[in-house]
Amino acid sequence: MNRSEILRRRAKELLSKGEVKMVVGYCASSQPGVAQPFFATTPEQAEQLIFDATCSQNLANFLLKVKNIGRVAVVAKGCDSRSIVVLLQENQIQRDEVHILGVGCEGVIQNGERSVSCRVCEYPNPLIYDEMLGEQAAQQAADTAIRMADEDFTRLTPDERWRVLSEEVSRCIRCYACRQVCPNCYCPVCFVDASMPQLVGRTHNISDNMVFHIMRALHMAGRCVECGSCHRACPMGIDLMRFNRRVAKIVKERFNAVAGIDITTPPALTRFSPEDAQEFIK
Amino acid sequence: MKNRIISRDELAQLIDRLVERVDVYAPVREKNGANWGKVGSANEIYLEAVNTHEPAKGFLFPRCEMILKFDQSGNAVEPGLPQEQVVFGIRPCDARALMVLERFFTSEGKTDPYVQARLEKMTIIGVACNRTAPACFCLALGNSPHSSEGMDVLLTDLGDVFLAEPRSEKGEKLIAGLAEAEVKHLERRTELKERVESEITGRIDTTRLKENLPKMFDDPVWERLSLPCINCGACTFLCPTCHCFDVTDETVRGNSARYRVWDSCQFALYSRHASGHNPRFNPAFRYRNRVMDKFYYTTEQMGLISCVGCGRCITVCPAGIDIRQTVATLLSFIDSTER
Repeated sequence: MNRSEILRRRAKELLSKGEVKMVVGYCASSQPGVAQPFFATTPEQAEQLIFDATCSQNLANFLLKVKNIGRVAVVAKGCDSRSIVVLLQENQIQRDEVHILGVGCEGVIQNGERSVSCRVCEYPNPLIYDEMLGEQAAQQAADTAIRMADEDFTRLTPDERWRVLSEEVSRCIRCYACRQVCPNCYCPVCFVDASMPQLVGRTHNISDNMVFHIMRALHMAGRCVECGSCHRACPMGIDLMRFNRRVAKIVKERFNAVAGIDITTPPALTRFSPEDAQEFIK
Repeated sequence: MKNRIISRDELAQLIDRLVERVDVYAPVREKNGANWGKVGSANEIYLEAVNTHEPAKGFLFPRCEMILKFDQSGNAVEPGLPQEQVVFGIRPCDARALMVLERFFTSEGKTDPYVQARLEKMTIIGVACNRTAPACFCLALGNSPHSSEGMDVLLTDLGDVFLAEPRSEKGEKLIAGLAEAEVKHLERRTELKERVESEITGRIDTTRLKENLPKMFDDPVWERLSLPCINCGACTFLCPTCHCFDVTDETVRGNSARYRVWDSCQFALYSRHASGHNPRFNPAFRYRNRVMDKFYYTTEQMGLISCVGCGRCITVCPAGIDIRQTVATLLSFIDSTER
């Protein structure tokens, strides 16, 4: 049986036995190459569930939306499971309210190509789950071109880096698809939406766009699991993973921490250790 | 007004002459297709994509526009009038969308001076679609991939030459002096039109929506339909007819200005009152508003459905939501309750 078949069988069992109120998964959409988040509440609806490389959205996002209905099952790839870990660490969901259906993932596609985030993915399998559906996925070699481009970026002068980032964010139309699609970006009022007082200008000039993207990247430091949802969601094709990979690398180097891989260790920026780098204290 | 014929060379010369005099915007090649760009010559224009990634609404209603400059002593200055501009290569759905925007900004005796000024300075040269994309559904909204509605001139690529159909005095002047079209050209156009129309499979039935949507306002179906929606603004910002805006004052180093910026009904902030109360606190209410607005509210306000069937909201939706399926679900729901 392939993963879709196992998923449908288990989803039907869970729903018919009343073990969960809903199965959060994917169904086919009208557009080739992209699935749609799907919410099955009956065994009949569970027939529509699929799992393949088009299932690109991070479903942990929807756990926040349905968290008051009772226990739900959720399909989780490696990245989704790491987002769930972060949500659990931050007390946004309760472990016993979520039944995690783990799936190995060979990478999702965007515009017919393997998504940028998947090309450097180090966790193709869920790190937390109640049951695995099918085989674990094999770890694939990282795309060296992306790693090298990141290395090149770090070698640029601050002015050059600013120019590269400015070019990217100048295209931002502030639709906030990146924020909305992110499971770990869940503030009830986002800093850009604060109006009393207003913290960020609402025009689309480069400085306001930059404030939004830099502040978002910093808020995600030690919490971003590099699922790439924001990158795929951006209607203007902004290379958001460039920000996220850079921040994740700094967190790894300075705090030896990787977001969402260990439920017992709080996110890097919420804990203190005497061993933390603190050369900035003069 | 006479239909004329323009060769590829003549068209390139026409564009190059325009470029010397005014700002010409046209589809240019991008990584994954085409998008609008200011062109310096006809060579830069790329008409191979079915449509541009972004709609043309920014030419009439920019993403962010300064409407007033003022200083601490109470002096206020309005920015000057817009430059003359030519929008070349617009597709019929997007040209119709500009007409919807015109209707919204200039109807009921309330004329928006900024939009009006741009309209007066704008020449719209459209190019008919001979190919379609899977998300296209203009036919379902009473439009056609060969429609000239809202344009000054419609060009149709007949293979060796373009057929040029003027739709305004401005357009007629632009193509005056070119050879007149013959019957064979018009026949070829009809042939192409019928072929491309037969290729559009996306259909939605809008006939029963106006009557039935208001009855469904409080229906639980919206909760179900909106579950995958993440309430971002990608669909509204890429929609060629979405026209909501916010007005904001900003001061940078003592220089203050008032801006008009796009806003989206999908955002919680959009409908939040000064009191803090938000009538659309539920994400499902915001999702409902977009569907209601396209297919019901604007039929009441402007007498037209404000969806033009370009399909952008379908292709950009991070959650893979298809407005055609939403409408189909609503219709099947209407059917089941009528029975």
